[in-house]
Amino acid sequence: MKRWKSIPIVMLTSVSLIALTGCEEAKVDALVFESLEQCLDDTTMSRGDCEANYKEARDQHAAVAPKYNSEADCLADFGAGQCEKAPYQTQSGGSIFMPLMMGYMMGSMLGGRRSMVSQPLYRTSKNPGVFRTADSRNVGKAMGRTQVAKSATSRPSFKSSTISRGGFGASGRRFGSSAA
Amino acid sequence: MQRFSVTERPDLERAAAEHGFEFLVGEGIAGWDESAYYQFTSRQIEEDLKQPAEEIERLCFEVVARAVNDEVVLRRLGIPELFWDYVAESWRNKDRNLYGRMDISYSGEGPAKLLEYNADTPTALYETAVFQWEWLEQAMDKGLIPERCDQFNDLHESIVQTFPLLGIEGLSHFACNQDIEDDKGTLEYLEECAQEAGLETRFLAIEDIGIDDRGQFTDLDERVISTLIKLYPWEWLMDEAFGASLPTSGVRFIEPPWKAILSNKGLLPLLWSMFEGHPNLLPAFFEDDPDAATLAGTYVRKPLLSRQGANIEIFRDGETQIRSDGLYGGESCIVQGFHPLPEFGEYYPLVGCWLVASKAVGLCIREDRTLITSKDARFIPHAVLD
Repeated sequence: MKRWKSIPIVMLTSVSLIALTGCEEAKVDALVFESLEQCLDDTTMSRGDCEANYKEARDQHAAVAPKYNSEADCLADFGAGQCEKAPYQTQSGGSIFMPLMMGYMMGSMLGGRRSMVSQPLYRTSKNPGVFRTADSRNVGKAMGRTQVAKSATSRPSFKSSTISRGGFGASGRRFGSSAA
Repeated sequence: MQRFSVTERPDLERAAAEHGFEFLVGEGIAGWDESAYYQFTSRQIEEDLKQPAEEIERLCFEVVARAVNDEVVLRRLGIPELFWDYVAESWRNKDRNLYGRMDISYSGEGPAKLLEYNADTPTALYETAVFQWEWLEQAMDKGLIPERCDQFNDLHESIVQTFPLLGIEGLSHFACNQDIEDDKGTLEYLEECAQEAGLETRFLAIEDIGIDDRGQFTDLDERVISTLIKLYPWEWLMDEAFGASLPTSGVRFIEPPWKAILSNKGLLPLLWSMFEGHPNLLPAFFEDDPDAATLAGTYVRKPLLSRQGANIEIFRDGETQIRSDGLYGGESCIVQGFHPLPEFGEYYPLVGCWLVASKAVGLCIREDRTLITSKDARFIPHAVLD
């Protein structure tokens, strides 16, 4: 008789969760620079590579950087003088603030192909020594050739400035389960 | 198809704890009953359930292809005009579907009949994919059921294998009403499947979704949501305060907007009008259709959008035989030829056939003491043996 299921399910029971969290996350090779100049000074880097990756990170900055409706909130998270106005406004004409781009990270070359897309990096006031991605993942303090957690290299998500929440959920509160 | 009484696993309380189900001494797990199981032959599964379910899915797609170009149909389904293009575009873009559950009346003999299609927010997923399978393995190990039983259940692997094919880039958000334990459990399971498939995921309560000044949806970390796997019905999303922003939100939804056509009970009369006489369909009409009279007073009346067996009414010879309560039914209704669920002792099993990426991949059975399967129904596991 045909078996519909041949592989037993290994579910995330408490045992496997412990096993997962017990493991160190995989690291990948990356290049981190705090400026275009620093990259150009690195003799192992070509000018074209430095510039192309800097531009790629710079182009994403305004879209992926954390966003704030209040400049004070932004400064509190990123430090005095470390925020700028985002290049767009709220519908009512108010300013939106975001941290300054403090560096960029690119993947190492693998067979002539970058192992990941270049992305902007930031430094928070709480821990200014380490670079963070736009999604607040720790990239570490090292510059130049380094190794970072694989999860820090995923493409950064776009950030926005929320003007309202709670516009979904009313029917659920009225009817209860969505189950069908 | 037979119903057998069987001894419960002696360590059921431990199994419940391991899977996060509530267990009460003397009552067991709410909504789960393993004091019996249904046994099918592999021919019944293949020929009577799997093949017909995939055939019905194909017919459903023909209904969608027609409906998206027909304003009369979209209006009859109660889909607000604001979303007609949105629903149609999602179909023309071939936005991928993940899963659904067809509820079927089947007795082991004769053709299975489609009662409805839970194509948007099907639940009992974890019980089907994981807990039922574990029951089968342990019940065989302990000698409670015959040794070489199988189960029609490839649900978990199918979901994990389908996620990478959905073309999702970047972070996926998973959202539902977080106050409903069942919904949250189902969604957490889906999220685990997505993680197993290598996706980056984030849970978000549906009420925590934000909106920015450009109509994009955001999470609590101000990330713009690009993919949303929702366990929240399309008709609710469309009806709520942020609904008008759905078409321009740029969000890729799973299930896709075109599922709003299939998860609506109006699907049933649309199927019948296009494929009248199909052996797996029951005659069905919109209530105000004069042809509804051909059901001659014996039919089931269902609101277009009720859930969990709420507001269903069964008529026999023009008289109400049984009616379920509920909060639904403000909208219009459909009527469907009465095809009672089979009777096994004092129970009425409803067969649910799971589809993943439009392939029939698993089965669940919910049993109630009445002809209307309600939220009080209990999940009964099944086995396949020739």
